[in-house]
Amino acid sequence: MPEALNTDWFDPTRANVLVGILLFLTFLLINILRARRAGTLYIRPLPGLTALDEAIGRATEMGKPILYMPGLGDMSEVGTLASITIMGRVARKVADLGSSMQVPCYDPVVMTIMDGVARQAYRESGRPDDFPPGSVHYVSAQQFAYVAAVTGIMIRERPAANIYMGSFYAESLFLAETGNLTGAIQIAGCDKVTQLPFFVCACDYTLLGEELFAASAYIGREPVQLATIAAQDWAKATAAILIVAALLLLAMGRPELGHFLQTS
Amino acid sequence: MYLGPVLVTFAVGAALIVLFFVPHHQAQAVNAEILEWATIVYAFALILGSISLWNTHARKVRHRIEGWPYSLVTMITLVAVTGLGVVFGTAEGTAVYAIYQSVNSPLASTMFALLAFFIASAAFRAFRARNLEATLLLVTAVLMMIGRVSIGEFIWPGFPAFTEWLLDVPNLAAKRAIAIGVGLGAVSTGLKIILGIERSYLGRSN
Repeated sequence: MPEALNTDWFDPTRANVLVGILLFLTFLLINILRARRAGTLYIRPLPGLTALDEAIGRATEMGKPILYMPGLGDMSEVGTLASITIMGRVARKVADLGSSMQVPCYDPVVMTIMDGVARQAYRESGRPDDFPPGSVHYVSAQQFAYVAAVTGIMIRERPAANIYMGSFYAESLFLAETGNLTGAIQIAGCDKVTQLPFFVCACDYTLLGEELFAASAYIGREPVQLATIAAQDWAKATAAILIVAALLLLAMGRPELGHFLQTS
Repeated sequence: MYLGPVLVTFAVGAALIVLFFVPHHQAQAVNAEILEWATIVYAFALILGSISLWNTHARKVRHRIEGWPYSLVTMITLVAVTGLGVVFGTAEGTAVYAIYQSVNSPLASTMFALLAFFIASAAFRAFRARNLEATLLLVTAVLMMIGRVSIGEFIWPGFPAFTEWLLDVPNLAAKRAIAIGVGLGAVSTGLKIILGIERSYLGRSN
């Protein structure tokens, strides 16, 4: 018997996700209005991001390149999108200081976009002719071929700073440990919980999970961008309150909130 | 200049969010179709990737930059394997299949096997008791290692259960806290892009 076609126009098991998104949009709008009114919002400093300037400055003084690795994620990974934004900011600083940067890519789509973003950063810096063609380049879509190529670059060219931002998997420790052995200053940001301990062990600074997503907004300091970080914090506080409330209600024999919060 | 791409991003992003909540078979067919487009874009980008790979290594060979013979090997391999794949295909029994099985797979496995040494080297550095946090890490790691081997149970029968508790309670709580943060960050970044607040992927900072 053929399987019956689904003719429903709404999946009630995903109602909690819809409520969450609407709540987040509300927080976002409130904070954008707050930021526009106040001109700015206070966001606590992230040591990993303040170290970015230091790393770029160090590389410029040493006359050595910066190696920026966007991870193994494709364009469907939000970590890659955050990485593209951060790379744009880093490229702008590199262009301003007249330093050099290499971006070895795993995904050809990411490479194409990264190349455009880096070129634009040089244009915004007023130095479009200084952009070195080929500085954003494709390596391989094979995980360990990528590792071999990038660790080779680290050993041969001895970059002064290694920046890892994006979605990383088993290659995280290979890259970070090799970078550590070369003596480069290392800053990492990763959204994969399982890879964070490796970066913490081998890097000087690590952006943990959500800090990767906050980084792009934090570096830019534009009020609307900062509003998104504030909205994120409000959502986190709401999530914590809801979890505690669900636990208390469950203890009182009312599991409805707990059931609602469970994802399908 | 950037309004067109921003509108396309908004339309596609909003459509995919709506489709997430709609289980209707026609809506899901549209969803699958949109996701298939990504594969087509990837195939074309792979051509750009190959050109980039060729240019990067050709420059190294031309200027005799350190390690240029490796670049030459890469270029020859790129041409040879692509040629063999186009002429004879990639199915089982072809040259490309044999190269993949006898060269690529063992090399990847060898690289992966090296991970154990990298873990040992990183652990050695991380477990030095320099401050309170590193000391806590060291003590926890030692307890975990003892509790996960047979001798642990011999020393104290409660060791395996204790290590399970360490993994399932404090460790899992921290992991879930980070995971919630990552989830919210991902939603925030996604909405920023869909709403046009974040436009750097278009090659523009704001």
